[in-house]
Amino acid sequence: MSLDYVKFTPGFGKFMPKEYRDMVEHGPFGKKTSVSQVGTFKEILEEHPMCAGCAMTLFIRLAIISFPNPEDTITVGTAGCGRLAISQAAIPFVYGNYGDQNGVASGLSRGLRLRFGDRPKDVVVMAGDGGTADIGFAQTLHSWFRKEKFTTIMLDNEVYGNTGGQESGMTNKNQVLKMAPLGKKFEKMDMLGMAKVAGCAYVATVVPNNPRRVESVIKKAVLIAREIGPTYIQAYTSCNIEYAIPTDKVMEDAKEVENDRYKFSEYITDEAKQYLGELYGYKEYLPKPAAAVAKS
Amino acid sequence: MYLVANIDQSICAATSCKLCTQYCPEANTIQYDNEAGKDKGFKYGAAYVAVDRCKGCAQCVWVCDNMAKHHAIKMEMIDQIGDAALTENITYHDKNTKAVLASPLKG
Ligand SMILES: Cc1ncc(C[n+]2csc(CCOP(=O)(O)OP(=O)(O)O)c2C)c(N)n1
Ligand code: SF4
Ligand code: SF4
Ligand code: SF4
Ligand SMILES: [Mg+2]
Repeated sequence: MSLDYVKFTPGFGKFMPKEYRDMVEHGPFGKKTSVSQVGTFKEILEEHPMCAGCAMTLFIRLAIISFPNPEDTITVGTAGCGRLAISQAAIPFVYGNYGDQNGVASGLSRGLRLRFGDRPKDVVVMAGDGGTADIGFAQTLHSWFRKEKFTTIMLDNEVYGNTGGQESGMTNKNQVLKMAPLGKKFEKMDMLGMAKVAGCAYVATVVPNNPRRVESVIKKAVLIAREIGPTYIQAYTSCNIEYAIPTDKVMEDAKEVENDRYKFSEYITDEAKQYLGELYGYKEYLPKPAAAVAKS
Repeated sequence: MYLVANIDQSICAATSCKLCTQYCPEANTIQYDNEAGKDKGFKYGAAYVAVDRCKGCAQCVWVCDNMAKHHAIKMEMIDQIGDAALTENITYHDKNTKAVLASPLKG
């Protein structure tokens, strides 16, 4: 939980695998790296067993690149495909029982605040739609109602991908899946609406076919969760396997779904706007100068 | 044998839009070499694939064909591409990387 934890014990560097040496010498720790610089620095995410061409993988990759202070970040996850990659990264990962992630993150984030005081330590939950909206539903909602200060990211592939195609609360109505052969009978859950009702300070939807936008929402969500309150990002991260999307058509599907039912949306409270403007220099959230107000 | 992405650096270097690497789902798989193509008069360097990390999904091909519209990437059998970049042969520099190409199938 500091820059030191990625350094070698003196004398041991030369025995470490190349990937580890690259991480220490050319990783993003302690630097301001951005999505536009990918391909020139060693990323925190390593090789992992998620399927080829999976959009969830791409989203996780972009999200980890976008963490504002990776050296001070802990991820929390649970059963589901995403943990297969999130756990293969050079930042600490806590694995909760299926559905426990927001409870675990609540304790973790409170503990870190007690231990480190004002020095920000960011807790980011990344879990599937089933983990967040079905089995973890109560813990997710309660963490929001309690105003726990950490970021929750739903990796929404609209199915239980890891267990072979059961419907989740986030599956769309009438969708036929391997283990929902008659089609889903109910509407997709409105988790965005619930996040707002429960008091999240920032709520956004995003699709990974726009990497810069993924970067922007992740940064805002993590920064706001430091001091203002819970933040929620719902990302469409298609499952090639359960939705039979050819891997070279994944971005085409993302575009279609974005236009159809996953348009970019962002909700941010006035308090969070002021905080981002004043503390982190977000110009769009700073009050307009008097002259500009008079003109408009 | 299996397919991996292969970038034609002479096409890529003419533009070097750096789009594909933002869309590859795998980390540190499409990398950038700022020097590539400079001997041919191109200014901005080019992308290359660390073939040992490529899962062969061809998303980068779609991105280069349809978003960048440069048609610089093709899927090729790994034993047909000759020398390629491998993670162990990549050196990181400040804001740049360089790979010594080697046969992916020989030790
Ligand atoms: C308590 C418990 N019940 C069931 C499971 C089995 N299980 C593992 S992953 C999973 C579904 C994951 O679906 P989702 O959360 O949407 O993640 P995805 O794999 O789609 O990313 C289930 C039911 C479990 N691990 N623990
Ligand atoms: S099963 Fe689906 S969500 Fe899981 S890794 Fe494979 S493509 Fe991605
Ligand atoms: S998208 Fe095509 S032209 Fe652009 S960097 Fe990649 S290979 Fe080069
Ligand atoms: S084929 Fe897929 S894994 Fe390989 S370089 Fe292209 S996008 Fe990355
Ligand atoms: Mg799912």
